[in-house]
Amino acid sequence: MTNTYITNATWALTGQKLDLRMGQSGDEPTTIYLDDIPLQGVNGVTDAGEMKIPEGARVIDATGKLLMPALFDLHAKIEIAGCSKRESIYRTGQAALQGGVWGMLVMPTPGFCFDNASTLDSFADAVTQRSAATMIPAGCITEGMQGTQQTPYNTLAARGVSILSDAEHVTDNILMLHRAMKYAAELGLTFAIRGDVPALTHNTYMHPGSTSYKLGLHGTPACAEEIGIETLIRLAQDAGAKLHIQTVSTAEGVAIIRRAKQKGMPGLTAEVALHHLLYTHENVGDYDTTFKTLPPLREQSDCEALLAGVKDGTIDCIVTDHTPCIPFAKKQDFVSAPQGMVALDTYLPAIYTHLIKPGKLTWAEVIKACCVSPAEIATPYDQEEGTPVVAPLLLFDPEVEFCVTESTMNCGTLNTPLLGTTLQGGVTMPLC
Amino acid sequence: MPTIKQAEIEQALDAWAAHLLNTTAPQAVGKLAIVGLISHGDVLARRLVQKLKDNGCEAEYGAIDITLYRDDLNLRGIRPALKSSYLPFSPDDMTLVLVDDVCNTGRTARAAMEVIFEYGRPAKVELHCLADRGGRQLPIHPDYAAFKLESPEAERIQLRLMEIDGTEDLTY
Amino acid sequence: MNPRKDLITIDALSDEDIRTILESTSAMKDIFTKSVKKVPALKGKSVLTLFYEPSTRTRSSFEVAANRLSADVTTFTVSTSSVVKGESVHDTIDTLMSMKMDYIIVRHKNSGIPAVIARHCKAAVINAGDGAHAHPSQAFLDAFTIKEKYGEVAGKRVVIIGDILHSRVARSTSTILRRLGAEVAYMGPGPLVPQEQYTGIPRFTNWEQVFTWKPDVIYLLRVQNERMDTPFFPRSDYHQAFGVTEERLRRIDDLNLSIMHPGPVNRGVEICDAAMDYRNCLINNQVENGIAARMSILYHLTPQTQNND
Repeated sequence: MTNTYITNATWALTGQKLDLRMGQSGDEPTTIYLDDIPLQGVNGVTDAGEMKIPEGARVIDATGKLLMPALFDLHAKIEIAGCSKRESIYRTGQAALQGGVWGMLVMPTPGFCFDNASTLDSFADAVTQRSAATMIPAGCITEGMQGTQQTPYNTLAARGVSILSDAEHVTDNILMLHRAMKYAAELGLTFAIRGDVPALTHNTYMHPGSTSYKLGLHGTPACAEEIGIETLIRLAQDAGAKLHIQTVSTAEGVAIIRRAKQKGMPGLTAEVALHHLLYTHENVGDYDTTFKTLPPLREQSDCEALLAGVKDGTIDCIVTDHTPCIPFAKKQDFVSAPQGMVALDTYLPAIYTHLIKPGKLTWAEVIKACCVSPAEIATPYDQEEGTPVVAPLLLFDPEVEFCVTESTMNCGTLNTPLLGTTLQGGVTMPLC
Repeated sequence: MPTIKQAEIEQALDAWAAHLLNTTAPQAVGKLAIVGLISHGDVLARRLVQKLKDNGCEAEYGAIDITLYRDDLNLRGIRPALKSSYLPFSPDDMTLVLVDDVCNTGRTARAAMEVIFEYGRPAKVELHCLADRGGRQLPIHPDYAAFKLESPEAERIQLRLMEIDGTEDLTY
Repeated sequence: MNPRKDLITIDALSDEDIRTILESTSAMKDIFTKSVKKVPALKGKSVLTLFYEPSTRTRSSFEVAANRLSADVTTFTVSTSSVVKGESVHDTIDTLMSMKMDYIIVRHKNSGIPAVIARHCKAAVINAGDGAHAHPSQAFLDAFTIKEKYGEVAGKRVVIIGDILHSRVARSTSTILRRLGAEVAYMGPGPLVPQEQYTGIPRFTNWEQVFTWKPDVIYLLRVQNERMDTPFFPRSDYHQAFGVTEERLRRIDDLNLSIMHPGPVNRGVEICDAAMDYRNCLINNQVENGIAARMSILYHLTPQTQNND
């Protein structure tokens, strides 16, 4: 096996120009650290132009391209209605690679209900056979995500589960959750939950404001999320459990997490979905179900607070909250249509086009929020080898421009507002 | 395009009123109504009623909008705003003179008769018009036409009246 | 009026559309005075009423309107219990398209359903009320009633009182009145009146503010109990706090204000008995004008069913 040489790449984190040698030079796979980031499969890094490249070696000229670790997504749903599980896994894997994502934490859904050992085993098999991307299941907190009986945490943990989540389902049974946290804390499991008070958000469809008034849709109060976040933090603190707050959408939600972190709560992390940084409730316009999300899209001021949260580290990760919805489902009226967008296919180009290029986030911030932090929280681990799995590298060409069309979408559905828009950025991955 | 000027129209209306006084009115004393077809026909009807009155003959005035009765309503994309019909009397046993601006296919007159009969059962209905351009598609003919015009099918006849258009002429 | 297939909201109409429909409403009302209360305008056309929410008044008003235009009216009975999910609406649309209906009049508890139906079929779709979104035919009859009473809508002040938050009537009627140059204010129990920053409409929470504002028309909304799972306010307070009591009726009478209500009224809740017989109570005019307004709406819409279908 010969080495592959990447020449004249720009290290995205610092802008440094590099040459790399990739591949195994001996029997041992090597990992080199650059700015504390492990580079998978790399066994040589020099300044650009200084590497000795043997005659006939495979060379990738990366002039003008950025070199960076691939992204890890902490929040994806992969089930596609009407598709087999294997098909859903395959398509999502393809979509992820296209968007620069090497691995993801898969949220449980009715078809992938990770509340028992056999579902986890068959899922692991299917992923090995079908997926181009790493898929780590998030175990259910309760059986069938019903919010009543805790799942066998010991069994799930033995299958490699490190994060528990009932996906979008939030229980109002705080006692059950408190007991679950105390029990699971002993196993070192992390609870990934969204802040919500179901009684306050039942039968609500979007952020309350001028658009919800005009459309006659009941509003989802921000306080429900904020009370929920506060409650989760107190419970987790008392139980000594690690807590990851999912899809924060409000400014006050960010503030609550910031306060908790300042007071010192090492096991507390939080995420924001990309769409909550990019869109507001006004995008719903005239019942555009593409913009129906959970939690709902909120005000511009919330977008800005969330962005500030990412910048100061209050929000640890940006996630896709990838949720495939078939066209029929989204064609229904706004009340009946399901929540969610797909985002994997377009992930890195969308982040570049809408956050990095306009100067809202730096490459360093994006690499921290989309590559480093998510992998730290999910701790991808090779069960057979017994070693942590490290992100592969990708090349990103900021000059490439493409239109998002049906044919560029691999994930199986089209429920993204980016459809028909132009994005910048070409992802090359894997590199060898 | 040939044009008939305001003075000529006024003259024709005088002759028209004289015709009504001589032929229709004597047989319908106290039971005569002049009913104009909106729009323009109603203006002509009002002027005729006034001219009859000037000559000592009282006639009721009415105006009807026949839009809802048109047989081509659903073929036309554009639906004009409806005007209120004004028929402050029962047509029962009356002699009704329907006044139209231009008589062409006869379809408007047919619709007008349908409207009238929904208000009551007149003793007699006459059809009068300012201009008869021929081209009938129904067995309906005006009893009186102030002008007989030879106008090719494609040519549009346009009547403008002071009360509506601020100027007055008939071009064809 | 330019060809328009559907009537879903007032917002979607041009100023000319609104003027034209109002103008024709007046002509439609004249038809009621004829011995034959019927015109052949929609002869041979089929009109379907598709009500997913019970409503005797609006449905009959539309049916009478369609009958007076000589259309054939079919009532599609939807058992509300079997239709819970939106999927069924799609299936229903397919059925309706096979039936070759020309006009579909739809009411549904979900905001936005009529728009979905309109997008998927060639028939003209009229929104007869969807959730808390819109009720455009009510808006037209209200505007027409005010125009009939005062000669002009522009410059009038109308205060809409009640549960604004859940009211499609408040949304549509306020929209048309403001488009026609009237001023609108909202009054009701605090939690049921949206903030002015969302609506652009002054927000009052008591009668003193209403009287100070010097309205011409008091528009009362029905207290909709069925739409509230958890009560929004103590119901027994409503009449004393927000209803037209006999004492308030005397003030309304002194100031010569009109009273309107979309019906059906809860006597003793929004309105006292005596107010129903008040000389400026326009509630019965609204019912009569409702038929004329709906005739005008039916007449002015253009289904796309006749062309190569």
